[in-house]
Amino acid sequence: MAKDPLRTKLCDMLGLEFPIIAFTHCKDVAVAVINSGGFAVLGEAMHTPDDIAADIKWIRDRVDGKAYGIDLVLPASVPPAGTLEELLTKIPEEQRKFALGIKEKYNVPEPKGAHALHQWGGLNQEMARAQLDVLLEERVPVFTSGLGNPAFILEAAHARGIKVFGLVGKTRQAERELEAGVDAIIAQGYDAAGHTGAMGTFSIVPEVVSIAGDTPIIAAGGVTTGRHLAAALCLGAAGVWTGTLWLASRESDIDMIIKEKLLQATAEDTAYSRCISGMTMRTLKCPWTEEWAKPEAPRTLPAPYQMLLASDYIQAANDHRREDLMTEAAGQGVGFVKSMKPSRQIVFDMVEEALDAFEQITGEAP
Amino acid sequence: MTSKPHSVRPGFDTALAGKLAECDGGGPVAGTRFAGRQEFTGKVAGDYVDHGDPPWRWYLIVELTHKPEGYPGDAVWCESGSLFFLDD
Repeated sequence: MAKDPLRTKLCDMLGLEFPIIAFTHCKDVAVAVINSGGFAVLGEAMHTPDDIAADIKWIRDRVDGKAYGIDLVLPASVPPAGTLEELLTKIPEEQRKFALGIKEKYNVPEPKGAHALHQWGGLNQEMARAQLDVLLEERVPVFTSGLGNPAFILEAAHARGIKVFGLVGKTRQAERELEAGVDAIIAQGYDAAGHTGAMGTFSIVPEVVSIAGDTPIIAAGGVTTGRHLAAALCLGAAGVWTGTLWLASRESDIDMIIKEKLLQATAEDTAYSRCISGMTMRTLKCPWTEEWAKPEAPRTLPAPYQMLLASDYIQAANDHRREDLMTEAAGQGVGFVKSMKPSRQIVFDMVEEALDAFEQITGEAP
Repeated sequence: MTSKPHSVRPGFDTALAGKLAECDGGGPVAGTRFAGRQEFTGKVAGDYVDHGDPPWRWYLIVELTHKPEGYPGDAVWCESGSLFFLDD
């Protein structure tokens, strides 16, 4: 009997039926994927330590002892501190005027409430450290570091039975984390949603696999279908990390307008630009990204100034639910997301399609 | 549970002071759920800060020769695991 191609070392490590990891900010999606045989990682970077503890309990109560993961964003560099008022005064007039021009051209209303950005104190080393302490105390099964090297926490995590995964965008980062002894590496390519490195998924995955030895490598960036899953396994990955796929799922708690935009979007409807945060970021195109892409646009500002500039537009678009203005981070695989399915169905469809792909390659059913 | 303050311990590493290093830096983007990557090159000042236990070490990088376009400062704190020494 042929070996099951979907039975990988990642499945053995975490007790999974399928090597599919959902990265999500929605607890309902996480639980649905875990209870369907996959694995889920809940993004908690923006949450307080107390909220993280509560979310861990919520998930733990619903997955019947199955493994789950929590993702934090460990900062890797921190500029000298400044107050919000100080930062706002440093935005140059040219960029300020350009942003105002967009607001007038598209009739962008005033935000209804205070900016989420302005209410947020920022995530520095102390906040990230306090978040990490919760994960250690709660002994979560898996901690994933969405940015930054988690090496310093490995010994403490392993002593508590916690597995540590690092997400990288460069091979040298993977090399450093493998040397430190992380349990798995998520190699993320340029196709991904949000902020990514410059290497494509088809390049970074096999390159990291080639130096990883027995450590499982998880492919990320543009992974949306069962064919992507099969391809990732052929590249040597032990699983896939998926994000955009779940945004439009039935359980997802994002705005229905965004779900509809995602369902209609193709890869060409995403923009890779510095205009939202000051760092290259892939999102759905919107008037803000289109205007900053024009030749006459001024240069974008570095973080956090560009985000301060963009926050008025983004907040207003969301507060007033203006379909024509709203945007969301989305990977290039968004074109494959065509209907609002339950997460369980998404898992099973992905598995079935991957098995079909292997059958096409080998000529026999796995 | 309620989060507790952790210890912050500054120090100076004479062995590393003056070394040229690259930082695969970045951090969470304020107001969003996302992280962003930023790269810096500069000299290790020698100053460091350890946060919590086990210690999470951060080095001060100065005299930046490579930084994100428009980055206003000439210094950045970089997490030790994301620092790559060019002199080695």
